[in-house]
Amino acid sequence: MTVQLRRMDVQQAANDLRHRTLADIPRSLDRLIYLASMRDYNTGLYYHDGLASRFTQEVACEALADCHREAFRQLVGCSLEELVHQMEAYMESTCTNASDFLTAWKKLEPYRVAVPVESDPLSAQFLFSSFKIALAILESRRHTHPVEPVA
Amino acid sequence: MIQLILFSLIGALLVFALFFAMRRGPRTEGSSTALVGARQALNSLQAGLLPPELVERIFAPEDYEFVASQAPKDVRDLFCAERKKVAIMWVDQVRQQIRSLMRFHLGSARFHAGLSLQTEIGLAVDFTGLLIACRALQVLLYLRGAYSAPRMVGATAATATRVCRISEESLAFLNAASIGGLGDRSAGAARLL
Repeated sequence: MTVQLRRMDVQQAANDLRHRTLADIPRSLDRLIYLASMRDYNTGLYYHDGLASRFTQEVACEALADCHREAFRQLVGCSLEELVHQMEAYMESTCTNASDFLTAWKKLEPYRVAVPVESDPLSAQFLFSSFKIALAILESRRHTHPVEPVA
Repeated sequence: MIQLILFSLIGALLVFALFFAMRRGPRTEGSSTALVGARQALNSLQAGLLPPELVERIFAPEDYEFVASQAPKDVRDLFCAERKKVAIMWVDQVRQQIRSLMRFHLGSARFHAGLSLQTEIGLAVDFTGLLIACRALQVLLYLRGAYSAPRMVGATAATATRVCRISEESLAFLNAASIGGLGDRSAGAARLL
């Protein structure tokens, strides 16, 4: 019974998170990165003060983990074309120079630390591979249609 | 006379061997490990490797068409190499998990599962066919890339899904609670022995 109640709390907290915070982040890639940033690298636990104050820290942590897994599944299910669109939009939203962004993402591969801990290894590997291809496509587009620097 | 003694000795040995084999029964600890291993292999196949949406995504022809229409040759090559790598990894993992399930059915399933002889024979044929298909698929994917055998990929995934369903029926009694209890039962049985 307690487990069931707790699960209901987690679902409620996850819905709250979807309606309040994630509703403003429409793309799965942005959600994945946002939710990964809510996770402590040393412990693997997620923190969100607002959610923890409305529920409990444990429930908030599980709700964030649920939403993180959901974003991961959505992104794995995206076509390559959709992933390229999402990456392009994300790159523009960061207001970083495209060349710097692509270089950093190719070298540092930050997407590797953005996946949920218990994600299926094959799905994770598939997503990493798709990111690599998407980055190559974006880079090739820049070479084909270079953006003139603003004087 | 010598022949009679010889045959009597062999007969006595066979009776002893049969007696000890009947007394021994299933080895509790080994079989509980096999059960948990089989359950894990089944979960890995059903949740991680065989969901149709993942298989369709890995082998999606529209991704290839998109890259072929949008990207230069070096990116196309990168795409083909990456998809080939993931496709081979997929077959390899399916094969490993199927082997793990097969080991369970060969070694321990008869002690726990109420499978009929006909189902067991059918399973054995499916397992053997699947392992051969996985090997052939690995070779094909390695030589000709991820998009070389879409029908074979579909057939392999469908057979593996069917085998998982039959295995799941034979493992239905093993829910989360009984996995937790297996350790205790093994220890209890060991104490009794």
